[in-house]
Amino acid sequence: MGLFDVVYHGSDEMYFKAEAAVKETIEKIGENAPVSFGNTAYYLACIKAYTALEVTNMAQLRDALVPIRAMMTRNNRTADIFHSGIATAMAAEVIEACKYAVNPKPYGEADNPNDNKYHGHMTDAEVRELGVPLVTRDIPGFVVLIDEAPTDEQAVALIKGYQSRGIFVFLLGGIIDQAVRKGVKMGFPVRVVPVGPDIIAVSHIISLVVRAAFIFGNIQPGDYVNMNTYTMDRIFAFVNAFTPVSDITVACGAGAIAMGFPVITNETKDMNWRVPKSLIINEDVDQWIDCSLEARGIKIKVTEMDIPIACSSAFEGEIIRKGDMQLEADGSRKDCLELVRTKDVHEIEDHKITLVGKDIDEFGVGEKICMATIVEVGGVKMQPDFEPVMERKIHSFINCLEGIMHTGQRDLIRIRVSKAAFEAGFRMKHFGELLYAKIKNEYDAVVDKCQVTIYTEPEKVHELRVEANKIYDARDARVSKLTDESVDVFYTCILCQSFSPSHVCIITPERLGLCGAVSWMDAKATNQLDPNGPCQIVPKERVIDENIGIWEDVNEAVNKYSHGALEQVSLYSIMMDPMTSCGCFECICGIEPFSNGVVIVNREHTGLTPLGMSFSELASQTGGGVQTPGFMGHGRHFIPSKKFMKAEGGVQRIVWMPKALKDSVAERLNATAKELYGIDSFVDMIADETLTPEGDPEALVEFLTEKGHPALGLEPMM
Amino acid sequence: MDLTQNPLYERLEAELEKLREMAKAAGAETWEDRKKAQTPQCRFGEGGICCRICSMGPCRITPKAPRGICGADAGAIAGRNYLRFTAGGCAAHSDHGREICHTMLAAKPDGSYQITDVDKLLRLAKEWGFETEGRDIYEVAHEVGEAALNEYGKPYGFQRFLSRATEERQQVWQREGIAPRAVDREIATAMHMTHMGNTADAEALVRQSLRTGLADGWGGSMTGTEFSDILFGTPMPNDTEADLGVLEKDMVNIIVHGHDPAMSEMVVAASEDRDMIEYARSKGAKGINVAGLCCTANEVAMRHGIRMAGNFLQQEKAMLTGLVEMMAVDVQCIFPALGPLSECFHTKVITTSPIARIPGTIYVQFSAETARQQGRDLVKMAIDNFENRNPGKIFVPQNKQKATVGYSCEGIKSRLDTVTNSFVDELDTYKPLIECIKSGVIRGAVAIVGCNNPKVRPDYAHIEIMKELLANDIVIVATGCAAQAAAKAGLMDKENAVQYCGEGLKRVCKLADIPPVLHMGSCVDISRMMLLATGIAKDWGIDVPQVPVVGCAPEWMSEKAVSIANYVVATGIDTYLGVEPQVSGSAEMMELITEGTRKMVGAGYIINTDCDQLVQAMIDGIEAKRAALGI
Repeated sequence: MGLFDVVYHGSDEMYFKAEAAVKETIEKIGENAPVSFGNTAYYLACIKAYTALEVTNMAQLRDALVPIRAMMTRNNRTADIFHSGIATAMAAEVIEACKYAVNPKPYGEADNPNDNKYHGHMTDAEVRELGVPLVTRDIPGFVVLIDEAPTDEQAVALIKGYQSRGIFVFLLGGIIDQAVRKGVKMGFPVRVVPVGPDIIAVSHIISLVVRAAFIFGNIQPGDYVNMNTYTMDRIFAFVNAFTPVSDITVACGAGAIAMGFPVITNETKDMNWRVPKSLIINEDVDQWIDCSLEARGIKIKVTEMDIPIACSSAFEGEIIRKGDMQLEADGSRKDCLELVRTKDVHEIEDHKITLVGKDIDEFGVGEKICMATIVEVGGVKMQPDFEPVMERKIHSFINCLEGIMHTGQRDLIRIRVSKAAFEAGFRMKHFGELLYAKIKNEYDAVVDKCQVTIYTEPEKVHELRVEANKIYDARDARVSKLTDESVDVFYTCILCQSFSPSHVCIITPERLGLCGAVSWMDAKATNQLDPNGPCQIVPKERVIDENIGIWEDVNEAVNKYSHGALEQVSLYSIMMDPMTSCGCFECICGIEPFSNGVVIVNREHTGLTPLGMSFSELASQTGGGVQTPGFMGHGRHFIPSKKFMKAEGGVQRIVWMPKALKDSVAERLNATAKELYGIDSFVDMIADETLTPEGDPEALVEFLTEKGHPALGLEPMM
Repeated sequence: MDLTQNPLYERLEAELEKLREMAKAAGAETWEDRKKAQTPQCRFGEGGICCRICSMGPCRITPKAPRGICGADAGAIAGRNYLRFTAGGCAAHSDHGREICHTMLAAKPDGSYQITDVDKLLRLAKEWGFETEGRDIYEVAHEVGEAALNEYGKPYGFQRFLSRATEERQQVWQREGIAPRAVDREIATAMHMTHMGNTADAEALVRQSLRTGLADGWGGSMTGTEFSDILFGTPMPNDTEADLGVLEKDMVNIIVHGHDPAMSEMVVAASEDRDMIEYARSKGAKGINVAGLCCTANEVAMRHGIRMAGNFLQQEKAMLTGLVEMMAVDVQCIFPALGPLSECFHTKVITTSPIARIPGTIYVQFSAETARQQGRDLVKMAIDNFENRNPGKIFVPQNKQKATVGYSCEGIKSRLDTVTNSFVDELDTYKPLIECIKSGVIRGAVAIVGCNNPKVRPDYAHIEIMKELLANDIVIVATGCAAQAAAKAGLMDKENAVQYCGEGLKRVCKLADIPPVLHMGSCVDISRMMLLATGIAKDWGIDVPQVPVVGCAPEWMSEKAVSIANYVVATGIDTYLGVEPQVSGSAEMMELITEGTRKMVGAGYIINTDCDQLVQAMIDGIEAKRAALGI
């Protein structure tokens, strides 16, 4: 059989399975039974992506089989295997959807899918979480490992190898059992996801990919050509399939290749075809990582470090439990801090790592210790403004170490070192080695010399903390004086354009990037570190309307950097030409018409808002660089800003937020409301899911009326 | 096909029509006028059954007069004419090749011409068994050049380049008695055989046509290509533009036209001399713009990205813009009409070769010794002519398209190397392409070559055939006027051309970063295509006729084209013709060139003047070859 025949055969096989599954499921639960994977605004995403159909019940699922079959054309051209391959993935999604229609938790009873053996469907929140790391290339790509590796050891070597290079790993079929047998830690947070027991579950991965294209690329449902162009150009995925490769897998492989994802396999039987950069046969599984990365054109930036444990963004989500902990530096109980300081280059001995106090092996197991990390940097172009930018990166640098957990910043950090890391030989000096290598690597434009000192001697750390707090306070005072009015320039941020080609953020002192990751200071530093980079200076000389936030310079910048997709942006309005978003926003706000207000919901909140929509559904209204009046993605820290929808009256419009979000911004939001409107404890007037559990607009308005919320008295926004 | 609804041709032809109006206004005529005056054309000539070989004739074959005075029948007469046609083509290409060898003998480190591709010279020297270790490269070049010249007249043996063919091909050529001896010998044999009172057996005439063609493709043309590469550099992918819109309103426009790169290279070099550019500026021009016409355009575009003003039937149109200060020509495909036409415009037409002397032109005979200075003299003459432009006779063309060109065999391999995987693949092979064909992602390849011919709507067959092939995932290599048709239609623009491609070809183009129509050069560079087909066959482990590759000349007209068609067929590649060879007056000859050669060498002509049917036949032919291979 030729390659084309195998693909046709495999796609037929998948289609007939799908047809049978639909028939059986309808017999069981009826054609009116709802169909949904849950926690997604994109219905059955593969089907929506390629047919534009929004399937919500079994009858519609049955009807979707017709266009799926119609895509499985047979004219012996590459278009036919590409279409058939993608239709195979859609047929697989049909089968998966039937499983979820019968049982919303087909892969296990645990609420957190990461606690089940198979993860199955991935939520919109999980897709969005990938946005920032994909943009920053912390996740340089995705691999789908299919079926059983020749040996368990090889399975683990591949999984770990990819993971340590930051590649996000999806597992299907037998390799999951191999990983389980070998005790590999798996789950979305550690970026190794055991998706499902067989190739049919591949639809969940394709679903994640097409939703990324919807969310970040604004690809329209049913746009076959642009969908595949987007996935090929911007989603660096690839497939590793172990022999024996079934016809169904080959058919799915054709779909993967259509989307631009090469397939590497060790199958040789009946596999007399190779396709350059697309279908690669390599019998030596031990070469697969480098062979695959080369095929997909992924170059991994390696920082050479003398550290006994792995360092990769894949370990960022790793949790160290108490029982696995060797020791802990807990800023809430003990004196702990991190500080970056500029020093004259002559006073710095490059690569000097000093430990003052006891090392890890000198503490007792499970002990809470004091710890101060002082990084001193120097360089001709170094400026004190860069200090907090680098300091904030210490969190992600350390958190990427395997077996080390890091949260917080300044003197509110918590670092846990696992027993495994300790046993692997990890000691205090390795923190120094890591920070030295990362800072020299990432900030080589400004840092000529760098030395790191780690203190574990309690009295010394206490002294340092007092000193550091003065520095933190001084910095905060400086930053709090920074307002949009007090600076001469704003900055663009187009870091996301690798995924969201027409989105431009305008970063101002009072409005940080919607991903929450780039403040005006960061943008300024980024601009100085890389003058041709993603952050460009936007002057603010030609003002059109300062209240709504319109500048001719800003409009010119968004027009230029969106390549003509956008003409005008109002920085302080959500109704009139609001700022676009890429899709990786932390929060979204949307107007709530009954109260004249807005609701804000953060990505982590899975419940519904009073608008009757979840974060996912609200988020799907915008993103991909599109302006949608009435909806706006933004960073968490923008909420208490005096510029938050200033044109529509400011923060007094906020009528509902999830409780967790509300608590996290309460202090600053109250301060803003007090300053702007003279309202005390404004946050108490804002409803949340605990105060109005009914979740409907009537209950919301009732609550707001009772609290005397100011929004009710404002002009309607529409 | 609905011609009225095609914006591409409307755009292309509207501009040409405007230029014809310029001609009318200037009182000049163009080929369209002369074509009209020549219609109807002689049907005896067209059928190849008019014999003027001795002064007993002319004799013409009719049903009532089936034999000439000497007794030669239709097959003999059409066969002799066909062989002489072939010999004319072989002579032209081969003499071009010979001239390049002479240029190489004149090359020296401080002379007008230098050796550019030393590696290629050394490879060839080794192939031919010359010592290269520790020797001066010019000494090697001169020795290799002399050996190449001897290939034209050597008394014994066969062409050296034949050993590059597949083993099977070499055996077939020996078996069929068509392995070419000395190039001049084959041309002389052809002339002798067709002299009054010699061969009257059509099959023997066709056999000698194949041999004469092979002397061209695997002799003279291959020499022309190889030595041009050694002297001027082997083409590698580079960007350029095509169509009359490359002429610049504010610059001194010099058109180089013809075939042999020796003259055009010198004009290009002179146009880049700082003092020349300054001189042009002193005369009120913004600079010097050299553009190519016909195969010279292909030569300089392939090597330097010099822009291409147009192909064969566009040569008068270029002058009609009123923007051309000079047209410097060398050999082949030069309209004698350019002389009289230049009298209506300020354009100076410079003939440079004793091979092509044309009334109404200025003759400057180029010599290898003085070529560099002569190039400067010509450029200066063009600059001095800038002030003579007649503003009332100017039409500024707008049409131009981006093109990426320069796909020599080495250029193609360099792109294929980029899609290999270092863990499983080798470098410097055609295997990635073969894998695409074997798997079916690409169905096959077609070499589209040849001229323009007023019998066909200019460029229409080229472009329509190409578009249909691309839609069917068939990759195209092109040379000569066919290549320029593709460039003008945007089919060599990497970004634009993918819209015409099937998904397989689209993907391959994207991964290899190539356009779907690969420009392989001028008409002598069809020898590159023979090496490409041979290389594919060798890397695949099969013989050329089995490879799903065919040739096509949809709008051919010259004797060179017939010579080419002969060697392409003899190399084992089916050749699809959109214009009938002039043998249709003899059923025997028609049978011989379509089916007869198939028995000898495994390939033949497929002739169809309807380009839709022709392209369908090609697709079917490629699929049949695939089926035979079981892929």
